[in-house]
Amino acid sequence: MIEGRYFRPEVARSEPAKLWGERDDLRMVIGDDQTVHRPVLATVSDKLGNVPRKLTFADGSVFEVAAGADIDTLLDSHGHFFSRLARLEASWKFVSIAAVVTVALLFGLYRYGLPALAAGAAAVTPNVVVTSMDRGTLETVDRLLLSETKTSTQKQAEVQALFDDVAKASGHANPPLRLLFRDGGRVGANAFALPGGTIVITDQLIKLAKSDDEIAGVLAHEIGHVAGQHSLKQLYRVLGIGFMIGVIGGDSGQLVDDVVSQASALQTFAYTREFEADADRQSVETMIRAGRDPLAFVDLLDRIGGDKPGSDETGWLDTHPGNKDRRVATEALAKKLGWQK
Amino acid sequence: MDTIPTQTPVDAGRESRELGFSFTGNAREYFGIWIVNLLLSIVTLGIYTAWAKVRRLRYFYGNTWLDGYNFEYHAKPKQILIGRLIVFGILLVVNLLVNFVSPLFGLIFIPYLLALPWLINKSMAFNARMTSYRNVRLNFRGSYWGAFGCFIIMPYLAILSLGLLAPVTSRLSSNYIGRHLGYGASRFETGAPLGKLYGNLGMTFLFAIGAGLIATILAAAIGSGLLASSDIALRARFPSSGMGSLTSIAAVIGAYAGIILAFLFYLAGVRNVAFNSTKLDGQHSFNSTLGRGRYVWILVSNLITSIVTIGLMRPWAAIRTWKYLCASTALVAAGSLDHFVDEAAPQGNVASAEFFDIEGIDFGL
Repeated sequence: MIEGRYFRPEVARSEPAKLWGERDDLRMVIGDDQTVHRPVLATVSDKLGNVPRKLTFADGSVFEVAAGADIDTLLDSHGHFFSRLARLEASWKFVSIAAVVTVALLFGLYRYGLPALAAGAAAVTPNVVVTSMDRGTLETVDRLLLSETKTSTQKQAEVQALFDDVAKASGHANPPLRLLFRDGGRVGANAFALPGGTIVITDQLIKLAKSDDEIAGVLAHEIGHVAGQHSLKQLYRVLGIGFMIGVIGGDSGQLVDDVVSQASALQTFAYTREFEADADRQSVETMIRAGRDPLAFVDLLDRIGGDKPGSDETGWLDTHPGNKDRRVATEALAKKLGWQK
Repeated sequence: MDTIPTQTPVDAGRESRELGFSFTGNAREYFGIWIVNLLLSIVTLGIYTAWAKVRRLRYFYGNTWLDGYNFEYHAKPKQILIGRLIVFGILLVVNLLVNFVSPLFGLIFIPYLLALPWLINKSMAFNARMTSYRNVRLNFRGSYWGAFGCFIIMPYLAILSLGLLAPVTSRLSSNYIGRHLGYGASRFETGAPLGKLYGNLGMTFLFAIGAGLIATILAAAIGSGLLASSDIALRARFPSSGMGSLTSIAAVIGAYAGIILAFLFYLAGVRNVAFNSTKLDGQHSFNSTLGRGRYVWILVSNLITSIVTIGLMRPWAAIRTWKYLCASTALVAAGSLDHFVDEAAPQGNVASAEFFDIEGIDFGL
């Protein structure tokens, strides 16, 4: 027999009551009244910590008992998922194991799972999607940052020929590559690749270059971004992190939310550095295959970064590897591939 | 709290009694529930988050007591899951349209703004309807234009006036929520006095200056500590002229932290004013005595503890905050609370409630 309190339907006043019997054949007395009622059970709230359990009957009335009362024996529901779960949640041994597994799982997911999932998602993303992304991004940067090129048609043809040469050497076929010329404006000397194979080079970069190999090296680097699907992978990884935070952060206060999203923004810098190093690698390989100087583009980068102090080392907040690190890495790789000056 | 008092508290007649809210959850017990929620959410790729949410809220509501009775959260996990899937699907389609088809779909924010008041009302109705105390549920009956004014127009005016109109916004939104909220067949009524809200704004201003200064000094101290250490990369970034730029970076961080903390301070003050000017059934009143500075300190120290313990102290922090909120809240009951009765009320809409949950927007119901 279980003691508790009974609420008539839709009423705030409770009366002491006693309940006994079985799930399909319950008996109850209310207050001092000796009349035995036979309530029909509709729902029972799941066991959870020391929260009182509530049995709701078919007529909308409620019988409430303390968490300690043995409702599960009365209703024969010890085997129910949440009754088992509540017992596990109260066991120190299980909770400690769950904590270790959860931390390990989160770390593994973040370190290996997300990059693998992102690579998989990038591989199956149809070309239609990436080409329309190119169109949208190009529209935006053209409106906000870049303007029409002032490079002569003759120079354009030369750079285009360089581009075709390294594109061929890169062995990349899909999505098809195309080169666009723009005046960099505020952006200055720069080149960038969009996921659908559009590569943009600025007039300022062409002017700053001292040799064809310097330009070719940068173009090979950008082709490396397209071939490695870096933008797409980045996009999917950021989405994945957002989803992960959503799953974890169900119960996070305002402050926690703020800090976690700032921290994940920092993480994208690290991703970017990883992709830059990969594109450098591909540039070196392509340039050697094309019979060109694979280190030339680092000289060009030095000239771009020349006016910024401290651009030699790779810092925590950097999107690109520092030039000194870059030079060391590219030289080592070029040597390994048997290249000699 | 192993046993429930079997007799209802003695009816004190028409005498008014101050009844404090109390919280019987504890960090050890909640840690188990929390970590299992997290583990199952990860393993099920997020699907279990619906069940996790219900268990979390049931734990917090169920351990919140007033006058010997606890609260209860009634939403069904499957409802929540469906709501989440709908919201997720809509957000996905909108993002795909904006990013891949045409940026022109960004104009979707206009119908979104127009739908927002309706969504807010439906969301508050759902959350209220899923909450009960003594077998009687809360309810919310909003009005479209009321919500439009309080939650769409007024926040913009508050920002445009650089915060000077914030107390007006707070007054209107507090009153709006209070007046449309019901407990069964009984209605709440809130009349937040503007003077007190402006007083709160003044204190917030002083607090912001103090908090901003302290945060600046802390940021500068930590920054120069880092500079003094042998980190070559950092030194390269801040060559000898580094101290000047360090001070300005510290000031920016300080101002940012000051504004966020001041906002929390301000909200705690608004909660006090709103609760203290709320009546139920025209006779029962509320007391909220949240220490604003103390509340901000609890949130900040919670954050630091959570970060240092890679999130493992988060359950402790959540319990601590809730406990403090309960301990600072009381109901001044005029006589017995036995007479309340429930009545049919709008059920609200689970998808709109989940939309605001996913977006992290809380109306402080």
